[in-house]
Amino acid sequence: MGVATRRVGLHEDTAATVIGLAIVAMALAVTWWACPAERPASREKWPKGWPTPLSRTIDKPQTWSDSPLASFRDKQGNPVVVPILLGGAWVVAVAVAGASLGGRPVARMLPGAAALAMLAASAYLLSAQQVIHFYNLEYPLWALMIGVLIGNVVGVPPWLERALAGEFLIKTGLVVFGAEVLVGRLLELGLPGLLTAWVVTPIVLVTTYWCGVHIMKIPSKSLCMVISADMSVCGVSAAIATGAACRAKKEELSLAIGLSLLFTVIMMVAMPPAIGWLGLDPIVGGAWIGGTIDATGAVVAAGESLGKEAGEVAATVKMIQNSMIGIIAFAVAVYWAGWVDHSGGPRRGSLLAEAWRRFPRFILGFLAASIACSWLFSLSPAHALWVDGTTTGFTSRLRGWLFCSGFVCMGLQTNFRELAPVLASGRPLVLYVGGQCLNLVLTLAMASLTFGWLFRKAVEP
Amino acid sequence: MTPSAPLRLALVAAAIGAVWGVALPWLGRCPMIIRHVTAMESRDVNPAAMYYTELDRLPLRPSWIEDRVVLWP
Repeated sequence: MGVATRRVGLHEDTAATVIGLAIVAMALAVTWWACPAERPASREKWPKGWPTPLSRTIDKPQTWSDSPLASFRDKQGNPVVVPILLGGAWVVAVAVAGASLGGRPVARMLPGAAALAMLAASAYLLSAQQVIHFYNLEYPLWALMIGVLIGNVVGVPPWLERALAGEFLIKTGLVVFGAEVLVGRLLELGLPGLLTAWVVTPIVLVTTYWCGVHIMKIPSKSLCMVISADMSVCGVSAAIATGAACRAKKEELSLAIGLSLLFTVIMMVAMPPAIGWLGLDPIVGGAWIGGTIDATGAVVAAGESLGKEAGEVAATVKMIQNSMIGIIAFAVAVYWAGWVDHSGGPRRGSLLAEAWRRFPRFILGFLAASIACSWLFSLSPAHALWVDGTTTGFTSRLRGWLFCSGFVCMGLQTNFRELAPVLASGRPLVLYVGGQCLNLVLTLAMASLTFGWLFRKAVEP
Repeated sequence: MTPSAPLRLALVAAAIGAVWGVALPWLGRCPMIIRHVTAMESRDVNPAAMYYTELDRLPLRPSWIEDRVVLWP
């Protein structure tokens, strides 16, 4: 009689942490190995950090206007077909590694993983159309759309369903994303920057969440949290991080991202003329834009349309807010595990032990990557360029592919009928608009107070 | 009668092709859109960046800011 054997794999959070941290360590090592011989500590020479050889192994379709074929060549006219194909191969490799560590059969999910990578590439291709690209309708929207269309029009075949590991891909993407969340960036604009980003953002986040749960009585606390975070911190990336920390449903994350992208476009177009009409100083106007518009790219676009100075301040304030994601995701995970999430049955042991039992462990991987890269970044100018080169040249691209594939999976598995009662009430929209109004008022007050008055030098140039 | 799955897929693909292949390129030739796109391209702005590491230029402290603002009182 044969003995039945059962492979016991790692928990999904642990597998995501192991794979994510291994990718970050490998990327840092390769970039260090390829350290430039000429002036390695010069920011003027290397404005985006050291060039990494890994950048040749991953890219996405480039912006195109009339023919999608143009997306396979970069701005200089060089072909990028191979790096795009390799980007898809990275997704397949991560999915295979996850299945292997998780104890699931690898061979049966390979065709589905390859198809998933192709769907992610299609979402990137749609988002690269010139009008879409320059009006900030980012790839998550199109990844979700492709998934929802396929899921509802033809259904998900079993061979594809076996490869649907959206949560795992997003968790691994978040751990890799940790390398980009550098604590040192928080100090870039000194005390005025810290006050604008750190005082207003938590107040708006907590107030909006509280209003959603207690005043508007939205049944899902995780929906309130994801909407509050993407509106008050930095849009899609904050929604992904907090959504994972509070275990939000796929439908809730999709809704929050849709709201964020819609209002980002509106605010990107409306805020610069409003600032001109109000006659605000460019520094104050830039700080206001940086603290309120959700998406980083839209912040730069709106700021630059007010002038170079406003654009620089807007981008730097947004970068400070970007750097808060790690702390906010950790705080949300602790709060959820300790006080909100009761899904695992009644409490066993102390609050601390219970919180640890429910805590999403991959958040620790995300924090580990963030702390390690922040420490390396702070060592010297050359180390800072090492970290910048690794993140801008490789990890940010890989994290984009992982998120894009994760969103395709989410779209394929999304059931909007679950959200229908909440959507019909219009309360998520009211919550977003109300929170954003509070954000606009408080950020303008704080930007005027800090950049316009308290810390303003008496002598103007 | 509900159309078959391949037909439904072909219809959706055709709709996507019409929007991305015809409507959006046509919209991209409107003067307002051209002005916006040209302005963004001339300043190397990537409006689709989700995080600051995706920007074409990393947003570092502006060189002029310390002449105007007391960063650390």
